[in-house]
Amino acid sequence: MIQFFGKSAELQLEKDASTRYLPVVIAAMIFLAALSIGGLFALSNAISDWSETLTDNLTVEIAFDPAADLDKKVTDAVALLSATPGVANARPIEQDETLQLLEPFLGKNAALGGLPIPRLIEVIIAEDSAIDLAALNEKLTEAVPGARLDIHRPWLDKMVLLGRSIQFLAAGIMLLIGCVTVIIVIFAVRTGLIMHSEVIQVLHLIGARDNYIAEQFQNYFSRLSFLGALPGLIVAIIVMFIFNFLVGSLEASMLPPLSVGIEGVIALLLLPILVALLTRYTVRRVVLKSLRRMM
Amino acid sequence: MVRFENVGMRYGLGPEVLRDISFHLRPGSFHFLTGPTGAGKSSLLKLLALSHRPSRGLVTLFNKEVSSLDREDLPAMRRKIGVVYQDFRLLDHLSALENVALPLKIAGAKNSQIYQHVAELLEWVGLGRQVDAKPPTLSGGEKQRVAIARAVINRPQLLIADEPTGSMDAEMGLRLMYLFQELNKIGTTVVVATHDLELIKRFGNPVMYLKDGMLTTRAQDDLPAQFSKDPA
Repeated sequence: MIQFFGKSAELQLEKDASTRYLPVVIAAMIFLAALSIGGLFALSNAISDWSETLTDNLTVEIAFDPAADLDKKVTDAVALLSATPGVANARPIEQDETLQLLEPFLGKNAALGGLPIPRLIEVIIAEDSAIDLAALNEKLTEAVPGARLDIHRPWLDKMVLLGRSIQFLAAGIMLLIGCVTVIIVIFAVRTGLIMHSEVIQVLHLIGARDNYIAEQFQNYFSRLSFLGALPGLIVAIIVMFIFNFLVGSLEASMLPPLSVGIEGVIALLLLPILVALLTRYTVRRVVLKSLRRMM
Repeated sequence: MVRFENVGMRYGLGPEVLRDISFHLRPGSFHFLTGPTGAGKSSLLKLLALSHRPSRGLVTLFNKEVSSLDREDLPAMRRKIGVVYQDFRLLDHLSALENVALPLKIAGAKNSQIYQHVAELLEWVGLGRQVDAKPPTLSGGEKQRVAIARAVINRPQLLIADEPTGSMDAEMGLRLMYLFQELNKIGTTVVVATHDLELIKRFGNPVMYLKDGMLTTRAQDDLPAQFSKDPA
């Protein structure tokens, strides 16, 4: 690590005023990159959760009808569903429970009890079973007028599409941040090469190889990037915790908590190392290319 | 050792500053290079130091033709050449010892070997008490001696000095020339570029005379009494 980040003994790049603010810029870039990564992994996990939860889970909705005996309809529907091969469980959702589900959207209000709320039945599909959902829906509608099987698929598809779009956007932002970081580093290195051209010439003339000179630039700029990346990452993690806390306090089941998962944590922790390596590679390419133009 | 054949040199698209330069330096020889200001001495030294490539002609150093060299071969070649610049080109943030040690460090020598050897050399050039001094605190003559020590630390086969006595008093200049003579005696080929005709006459070594980018070999008696200050 000492060799990797060693000081530029001859070039004294540490004293350059031109690169003093590079860590600040890198910190800002890493802050944005970390938020993008956090969003990317959190969404990925959320989509995965939704899919897992809803794939084996169906809902039967029995439309509100003041003239009909809704309890009997529910009992008939549960009996039919329980007798269907492949259905592991059919559980009527009580009206209180339904009202609780509506609370995040409509709030706690005594008047809720008077709303024409449909009756719901939660249906769990047995694992590895193949049910013809269209046929079941038809059978259910015939046996229980006003009943409808909701397989959640259209809603889930839209949510997955939205989630994937945001993921692509986050990946695009990451790419943009990477490109901007590389461009900033290139400008800083070129400035350094111009500022230190006389010393570089002396080093060349006393027998220094291009690698010897390039290493001093690589080490210095990698160190700047790494040291800039750390505060950027720390601030981003704090922001993510605050966001998570705020989401949790909303008690809104539609907004999932920001859980980046173990892969996300690893990606976030690798970010400073990756940016240091990207900087090192960029600096090496720029310096060696520039030195080749000298004799 | 060094062979120039019909060498020409220009900077960019400018006029030729050296034209049809041909000469041969045998190993262990000692030459002065002189001529009026603007004659092309510094350009010729740049070719010798492998700082620039010729625009035309052949430059052969250590039996290798320079224009055919790969970039990877240049550092090894340069380590065989010691250069003393007129403006010293020392690194101001390094001590005298570190400046002199630099060629050895770059060549990959071990620290224990480097610093003993460097300290001895600094003692030899009369700077034993200033090993830790940084160039800005040294006088012109002291800087020049550090530059010389740096040029010879690698025991170069070819030593090039550009106006090495320019920033010294006469006595120190003479001491320096005796130092070059000693290095020459142990086999180092020496080329000293100077305007100091008195110095050239005093030492009596062969003289390469440059004027308007053309090189001639002159006997001591053919040298002008002094150079005109106007290069034209």
